[in-house]
Amino acid sequence: MSPHERVNGRARESQGFVVETTGLTKRFGDRVAVADVDLRIPRGSAFGYLGPNGAGKTTLIRMLLGLTDASAGTMHLLGRPVPARRAEALARVGAIVEEPRFHGFLTGRENLEIIAAAREPEAHARIDGALARAGLAHRADERVKRYSLGMRQRLGVARSLLGDPELLILDEPTNGLDPAGIHEFRAMIRGFVAEGRTVLLSSHLLSEVEKICDEVAIVDSGRVVMQGSIADLARGGQQSVLVATSDDARALAIVSGQRAVDSATPGPDGIHISLAKDVEAQPAADEISRSVVLAGLAIRRFEPVQASLEQRFLEITSRLEEAA
Amino acid sequence: MNTSTVTAELPRGRWNTRRSPRLVRAELLKVRKRRGLLAAILALTILPMIVAYVILAILHGVDPAKHGPAGSAHNFADSLNFLGALTIVAGILVGATLGTGDLGAGVFRELVVTGRSRLALFAARVPAGLGVLLLAFGIAFSVSAIAATLLAGPLDPPSGRLLLHSAGWLGLLATVSFVIALGVSSLISSRGTSIGILLGWLLVAMPLLLQIGSLGVFRETMIGAATERLEPAAVLGDGAHVPMSLTAAVLVVAAWTIVPLAAGAWRTVTRDA
Repeated sequence: MSPHERVNGRARESQGFVVETTGLTKRFGDRVAVADVDLRIPRGSAFGYLGPNGAGKTTLIRMLLGLTDASAGTMHLLGRPVPARRAEALARVGAIVEEPRFHGFLTGRENLEIIAAAREPEAHARIDGALARAGLAHRADERVKRYSLGMRQRLGVARSLLGDPELLILDEPTNGLDPAGIHEFRAMIRGFVAEGRTVLLSSHLLSEVEKICDEVAIVDSGRVVMQGSIADLARGGQQSVLVATSDDARALAIVSGQRAVDSATPGPDGIHISLAKDVEAQPAADEISRSVVLAGLAIRRFEPVQASLEQRFLEITSRLEEAA
Repeated sequence: MNTSTVTAELPRGRWNTRRSPRLVRAELLKVRKRRGLLAAILALTILPMIVAYVILAILHGVDPAKHGPAGSAHNFADSLNFLGALTIVAGILVGATLGTGDLGAGVFRELVVTGRSRLALFAARVPAGLGVLLLAFGIAFSVSAIAATLLAGPLDPPSGRLLLHSAGWLGLLATVSFVIALGVSSLISSRGTSIGILLGWLLVAMPLLLQIGSLGVFRETMIGAATERLEPAAVLGDGAHVPMSLTAAVLVVAAWTIVPLAAGAWRTVTRDA
């Protein structure tokens, strides 16, 4: 049990998932925006909800937050059924949905006061801390209409902290941030996770999710097509090996005919060998190195290439396109 | 707070109930900070009364034989007729602004995400809007009443009964026009369209319809007929266009208050945020 759980005595809640959906579906007329989604987000993780634009990410978040009704399926937030106990669940959820919006004629602080008034009485006392955490303390008394997009994103983060959230739902939160801001934002999210909070990060940016998140669900056309840890998902992709020898032309001829090899392509740094999907990676790599050595070639480089989430994502989506 | 600490327990108690002074204060903050709206309210309430009595006083001072005293019950009644029309305009402005302010700015979504009941969010707008509106009209009415009394000269100042009745009638006009605008604008989600429709209906179409005798009993269902019935006789002048009982007038006012509020609340609760 983490300190977070011990301090609050919420061991029972911690045993579940912070978000759990079953068969969640949203239809707009004939169009299905979210299709039969079963999602389980473990407590205390940074969870990426990854998919291309129009995949149904924001619609799912809007359903979780009670902004729109689900057409079918069930949802639980922080162990509470939604919408039946929505108010109770959302009291400990902070969210940025799409671009954070504010009253431009109010200051940053006043905008937070408006939201704090809708939350529990203690929320008001959290305003200063939230502004400081988001790096906006020095600009808090300026009108929001003078804020840049990046500052509005920061204010959105500050606002999402007013409920002292167990779960933060951030929909494309790095939109409008400059590289330094994005870097800072990543650190902030990891900081939230380190405190025991759970972060659900929705993004179409693979690199963003890969750098921030521990777990990921890949969504396409409203369906979750894969869910697991970043490492597991990447491992699930096609394995490849980079081999450089004393005679790459001969080595290429040797490995090309092997059953364990799906394809072999020469490159400036050696031969890129993709392993066949139905073989175990380690024995296959052993077989390749053995055959090259037995042919009398010296191996100068031999390294497995770790598939990135991006490669895996492209594999999955291209497979879906082929199947369609 | 220190947001780097662990999260707190889920809030308990009655913080999420429908009535919340904190929500009302938040709505008041929004109204107070809308400088344009406050300027419009000022221009439609206090300012006209000051300007009118100052002009009347100057005219009387320049040519007392031609222009009577600025005050008196008669001038008070005239000023209230004018203030009544402005009350409707100001009520519509404030109601439509509060009804669509959060939605237009995209902040309604952020408020819904807090988990707070949508009905509570809607309900908080009523006391906040009325508070600002009635304060402005209270001051405007006071200016008129004081000026009409102090500047009456040899003429009769407005009686206590007339002052009381007029204050109640103005308050009713402000409340009804505000509530109708709040409900309608929440229903159709457009400030400009709501203001246009309501100004056209309350200040142009309805007064015309009230004069068409062939509409018969249908005229009694109009809010204008009911407010005329409740208007002080001294202010109304020629008498009501539609004779109706006091009970009927009260019922019509109640219906025109409750129905738009219910429609606005329903839309607020059911809309996609």
